[in-house]
Amino acid sequence: MVLHKFGEKLYSGLVATMTFHLKEICSSIEAAQGGLFLEELNRKWADHNKALQMIRDILMYMDRTFIPSAHKTPVHELGLNLWRDVVIHSSKIQTRLLDTLLELIQGERSGEVINRGLMRNITKMLMDLGSSVYQDDFEKQFLESSADFYRLESQEFIESCDCGEYLKKAERRLNEEIERVSHYLDAKSEAKITNVVEKELIESHMQRLVHMENSGLVNMIVGDKYEDLGRMYSLFRRVASGLVLIRDVMTSYIRETGKQLVTDLERLKDPVDFVQRLLDIKDKYDKIIGSAFSNDKTFQNALNSSFEYFINLNSRSPEYISLFVDDKLRKGLKGVSEEDVEIILDKVMMLFRYLQEKDVFEKYYKQHLAKRLLSGKTVSDDAERSLIVKLKTECGYQFTSKLEGMFTDMKTSEDTMQGFYANVGADLGDGPTLSVQVLTTGSWPTQPINTCNLPTEILSICEKFRNYYLGTHTGRRLTWQTNMGTADLKATFGKGQKHELNVSTYQMCVLMLFNNTDRLTYREIEQAAEIPASDLKRCLQSLACVKGKNVLRKEPMSKDIADSDAFFFNDKFTSKFFKVKIGTVVAQRESEPENQETRQRVEEDRKPQIEAAIVRIMKARRVLDHNNIVTEVTKQLQSRFLPNPVVIKKRIESLIEREFLERDKGDRKLYRYLA
Amino acid sequence: MPPRSSSKKKTVPANAGSTDDHSSASSKAKTKKDQIDQLFDSYANSSIQMIDPEGIEALCSDLGVDYTDVRILMFAWKLKAEKQGYFTLDEWRTGLKALGVNTLSELKKALPELESEVRTPPNFADFYSFAFRYCLTEEKQKTVDIESICELLNLVLGSQFQPQVDLLIQYLKFQSDYKVITLDQWMNFLRFCNEISFPDLGNYDSTAAWPLILDYFVEWVKQKA
Repeated sequence: MVLHKFGEKLYSGLVATMTFHLKEICSSIEAAQGGLFLEELNRKWADHNKALQMIRDILMYMDRTFIPSAHKTPVHELGLNLWRDVVIHSSKIQTRLLDTLLELIQGERSGEVINRGLMRNITKMLMDLGSSVYQDDFEKQFLESSADFYRLESQEFIESCDCGEYLKKAERRLNEEIERVSHYLDAKSEAKITNVVEKELIESHMQRLVHMENSGLVNMIVGDKYEDLGRMYSLFRRVASGLVLIRDVMTSYIRETGKQLVTDLERLKDPVDFVQRLLDIKDKYDKIIGSAFSNDKTFQNALNSSFEYFINLNSRSPEYISLFVDDKLRKGLKGVSEEDVEIILDKVMMLFRYLQEKDVFEKYYKQHLAKRLLSGKTVSDDAERSLIVKLKTECGYQFTSKLEGMFTDMKTSEDTMQGFYANVGADLGDGPTLSVQVLTTGSWPTQPINTCNLPTEILSICEKFRNYYLGTHTGRRLTWQTNMGTADLKATFGKGQKHELNVSTYQMCVLMLFNNTDRLTYREIEQAAEIPASDLKRCLQSLACVKGKNVLRKEPMSKDIADSDAFFFNDKFTSKFFKVKIGTVVAQRESEPENQETRQRVEEDRKPQIEAAIVRIMKARRVLDHNNIVTEVTKQLQSRFLPNPVVIKKRIESLIEREFLERDKGDRKLYRYLA
Repeated sequence: MPPRSSSKKKTVPANAGSTDDHSSASSKAKTKKDQIDQLFDSYANSSIQMIDPEGIEALCSDLGVDYTDVRILMFAWKLKAEKQGYFTLDEWRTGLKALGVNTLSELKKALPELESEVRTPPNFADFYSFAFRYCLTEEKQKTVDIESICELLNLVLGSQFQPQVDLLIQYLKFQSDYKVITLDQWMNFLRFCNEISFPDLGNYDSTAAWPLILDYFVEWVKQKA
């Protein structure tokens, strides 16, 4: 027919016939009852497709020649369009189709089983008719009604469930929808329906969930509920600012608890326990972030900044961390394997990094190290050195050069002692055995030089050592640090019990006085020993007032030492141990006044450092304004401490006075370096 | 009309015989110098060859000016006097020449002019700095005590910036951080009065390069309000 130029007639005939035919089909579908509606539609659709195939084949010639030139819709497409217009969009079918589909989906959500295959065919049909058909005649409504459904359901859930349960339910619903799409909806619907679920189930109730009493985020954290936390993380991740919410709540909780810990006066009485608590908290959150928050970097950063915040709230944190280290290196690491030692030291370094006032830590560390080295009380030399290496890596050579100097002095002293005994040993006879540590003044913490009358036996051997040492090292000066030494005494008590007493030098001087007499008053001791009063009193207290260590007896028995008190050698002293340790050289938490003193010294030490930084900067820049100087100085010193801007200003003024700097005559905001 | 009487003419040059201009001019100059020198001598303490505090006091009363008056300080500035309370002959000569005066009455007349000269901005800063340095009486002295500073502030800045000066003096006497003031701090007081709006102190920026003492001063003022 086409060949005979009847294409138009053929075509319009086709249209008319198909339309008529489809109208009939339409009515039969409409007639279908209830559940059969979809089936009927599906069957008729399948038929139509088959028919279309055949028609197309038959009319292929027309399809290829007449239709393109006449700009008419191709046969197949025509067939689809007609189906769409006549059947799907027929007034009775259109709404009924939509309603049926939605009803079925709703039913499935409520737990009913539906014919998924049928569903898939229907939605495929819609897609075949054109994605706009799918969207307009199904998807849009589907999304809207789903939103309504979930809105209600989420409201129900939130009223009746706790956070963990709610999250489980939300997760379940989400997975359901995804599965639904994969089974009988178009793939493009997945993102859209998940958005709906996320919005209604998660986003709308985010705040309430997180802050839910007795089951919200904080509870989960406290109870280490990794599964719940993990679920919350993966659900909230889908929503904008969901993770931000979790992170913020977690951060403020950490900061709160941290702040409480560092201001808890009871806890602070035991520095080692305090630091252990800090480490425990860190471990806890590391574990949470690792197992529940998939090691999310932003969470790690939040944790770090929280720690930095509250550790520095307490100005004594540096001291406490040093005491913790001291405890570990003194006895805590006994019997611990090398790898575990490294782990603990690395944890300490991690806390160290959070400190703002690293120079304060250095001061205390030096003091405590000195005590450890001199009393020979370090558990492992390797552990000590390992920590120094870590500090050096973190802070640079300058930080640790003095510390290393201390170790060197100890080693050198060993050699010196060997030399001493090799050379002079023969002359010494039966006197006391001497062990001297020669300390280079700059490397060790500064000590006041106190008077002390050493017993004669000690004096003579000390003199011999001094002569030996100065003989081999000319131009040096030696001063006995009597407040830092220790002594081992062999004592025999009333019933002949022998004990070895490990005491401080001061204690030795006092005890040796009792070799000549049984009774001495405080005044007499003071005169004979010439030890400063406060040290002497502490010394006597440790000898007479401590249970199990009372080698002296005091009258009256009070704890305080009065000038008129009398002391007696305690014949009745007993102890389970042969060796009794009475020395008082252990590192302890400073008293308030001592702490003030140290702080003052730290402030004094900082002044020249700030000035040096200012001069360095000005030398390089020549001219600079005030704010930039403050910024640069802070940057330069940040690895040691945070300088106070007021102090920086004072130092600048001092440098102006000493004519290192001047104010620029033109622009008064600037400072100028004077060569 | 009486004829112009030659006897009414002014004094004849000393060496009446000389006729060339040069010598008459130099003799005129010499006379002026003599006048200046004579004036100097009338106040000077001959044993030290300088005008001492007593002499200055006498000078002041002759000028009709109180010896604590700021104009005397300005005079000292004009002389570039180095030691407080004393004028050397050189300083005297320099100063009077710069003022263009030879006699006491001329000097008295020149004082108002001197004052307005000093008060012009570039001169004033120089004068202000001079005022501080003039107080450094001891060798190697770099600072001036608070008490003297307060007096000096009033003297030098009082007429121009009375309210600021009053408040500043109050603060200086009240605080105890600083017992002395440096030249740097002193110069910044002037700058403060010139640049900072008063009494609100609104445009003061404590993070800028003001000396710490002024940061504290501003804090104190704001607290009082």
